[in-house]
Amino acid sequence: MALKRLKFTKDNCIGCQLCAQACSAVHEGEYCPSKARLSIESYYTSDGELKYKDSYCILCGMCKRQCPFGAISLEDKLTLDFDLCTGCGVCAEVCPKKVIKIRDEKAILCDTCNGDPSCVKICPHNALKYE
Amino acid sequence: MFGYQNKVLRIDLTKKGIKIEPLNMAWAEKYIGGKGLAIKYLYEELKPGIDPLSPDNKLLLMTGPLTGTPVPCSGKLSVASKSPATGTILDCSIGGHIALKVKYAGYDAIIFEGKLNKPGYVLIRDDKIEFKDAAELWGKGSHEVEGILVGKYGHEASVLSIGPAGENLVTMSCINSDYYRQAGRGGIGAVMGSKNVKAIVVIGTGGVKVDKILDVTNRLTEILRTDTLSDDNMFIYDCGTTAFLEACNDGGILPKNNFSDATDEDWTKYNGEVLLASKVGKRGCGSCGLGCGNFIKIGDAICEGPEYESIAVAGPNAGNSDPESIVKANQVADDMGLDTISAGDTIIFAMEMTEKGIHDFGIKFGDKEKYIEYLKLMARREGVGADLALGVRALAAKYGGEDFAMHVKGLEYPQYEPRGSWGMSLAYAVSDRGACHMRAYAPNEEVFAASIPPYTAEGKGEMVYNLAIYNAVKFSMILCDFWPLGLDRMTEIMTMITGREWTEAEMNAVAERVINIARAFNQREGFNRKDDTMPKRIANEALKSGAAAGQKIPQEAFEDMLDQYYSVLGWSKDGMVPENILCQL
Repeated sequence: MALKRLKFTKDNCIGCQLCAQACSAVHEGEYCPSKARLSIESYYTSDGELKYKDSYCILCGMCKRQCPFGAISLEDKLTLDFDLCTGCGVCAEVCPKKVIKIRDEKAILCDTCNGDPSCVKICPHNALKYE
Repeated sequence: MFGYQNKVLRIDLTKKGIKIEPLNMAWAEKYIGGKGLAIKYLYEELKPGIDPLSPDNKLLLMTGPLTGTPVPCSGKLSVASKSPATGTILDCSIGGHIALKVKYAGYDAIIFEGKLNKPGYVLIRDDKIEFKDAAELWGKGSHEVEGILVGKYGHEASVLSIGPAGENLVTMSCINSDYYRQAGRGGIGAVMGSKNVKAIVVIGTGGVKVDKILDVTNRLTEILRTDTLSDDNMFIYDCGTTAFLEACNDGGILPKNNFSDATDEDWTKYNGEVLLASKVGKRGCGSCGLGCGNFIKIGDAICEGPEYESIAVAGPNAGNSDPESIVKANQVADDMGLDTISAGDTIIFAMEMTEKGIHDFGIKFGDKEKYIEYLKLMARREGVGADLALGVRALAAKYGGEDFAMHVKGLEYPQYEPRGSWGMSLAYAVSDRGACHMRAYAPNEEVFAASIPPYTAEGKGEMVYNLAIYNAVKFSMILCDFWPLGLDRMTEIMTMITGREWTEAEMNAVAERVINIARAFNQREGFNRKDDTMPKRIANEALKSGAAAGQKIPQEAFEDMLDQYYSVLGWSKDGMVPENILCQL
């Protein structure tokens, strides 16, 4: 079976950031988008454009491949071995979607809520899908 | 209680000092947040009789316990002050993302006091507050200023800014955020301008805590899916408020040529179908779910919306049916920092004054280019704009035209014609900030749902009371108008987020308290029954066409409605809140 991944369709996004609130609730125990494991926003520019920032894990595996300590594994989701992770930040540097952050000397990864992503469940107009 | 940050940031602009103090939780229990709590703070802190444009006035940003959580439609901020347009209390509700940023920065409320000694902006990065020079921003349009500041501080920053109108203390100036969202009415932008504050930039990286957060999130997801995003509500996502054009035209409450009539045969030239054909994107507020914002481009005219009010005033009420000019008028008003309703009403009043030969303002119905040009002149108080910036009430006092001066307490009339929805004349008259359609939305009952006969005074006191109660608690939680959730749902959400059991009776008590304290504030400023008025046109001239053709509201019927409303609330015949209620506020 093909790997299920998060997918984002910007035409369906209203920029409400409910996704980041739900994510941080599940992983951090508070509604705190700055700590969420994805960041999807839309914003206007002064020259009259509507733009999107879509930072979410596409399970590309770049972090796993580049981790110097073999701390990240990828099967149906990303998993971090806390004992092996040193917080060196290589994964965050190579992440093409700029999802990974280093906090308290550990990598913060999207684990797709173990196959039932809270961001997808709350997304009001199905801009985020898991398929 | 959960949901609150228990923190108020008080900023003394004169001394450039800050103070952090605990939120008054006894008041929060009684007024929740948003509208109610903002008014309570101002009632306690503002001395009666102060000049709204003096350093004695305060500008208050108030969130609520739901702000920053995934409660649908909870991304609104109450911006409150004493109104320079009316002298009444003034609370506005602004969308975008600013409310969430204030809360994530760690505050329930931010209170601005005093006045900067020269133009500046205030940068709030969590607990770091800086006062910045705005010499280079002063004079610029609101959109340009937001672009500069977001360019400097990144997209994490939300910005409140004023345009030239606010700088020039025009009492119909608004505050903008996210380019296309406004705290629109009552001259709130002039209060900010009077404090020399061009912009407020907020970056918030903290969070909001609630008990049993996983259960709460799951339940809110369920509520979002089944209640917020119900089939009945999806027109908000599909059309936004453009949907009201057809309903208002059919119901005979779409104003035409400065409220001379209430239907427009050309309405299909600028309706939702036409405008949405030029939609290039969608955007809602933080925590929204519904997503009313339609990003429209027609020619070089751009705006999010335009909302029903802005369409109606720059369209049929100005004798105009050209969609591009309607969108452009919206864009220019936003950028100049003008309330589309009050500025538009003033221009259409000038059109009628000119056509009737009472005073020549050099503009007539249908002059769509001049309409846009005049907005710029008003914001800068240049040429004819110096006069027009005074607003309808002052212009009528100066030049005449009282018979068709459409305002209550100096706040210009919204675009729901009351002769086709009699309850609306009462709602406008008793609204706490002058003529406002957001305090009790009568057309919903009298026209759209047609559940209550529109052309009678009977039962209207109670109807408007019920509508006002509903909005008072909703705007204190502080939720968006667009989600028509029931009181049971509101009660459930308050219990879920605050972690203390709320009852519907308590919620209703909050609502009544909010209405009373707003009235008490105004009463202290000298307002009473004599100020709860209806424009002469509504009493004297019958509508000529449409569903409400032949209708006018006799003065006795209006007075009867006032009596009913005061009576439901336990106010005196003169519209005064009695001592036994005052002492409990």
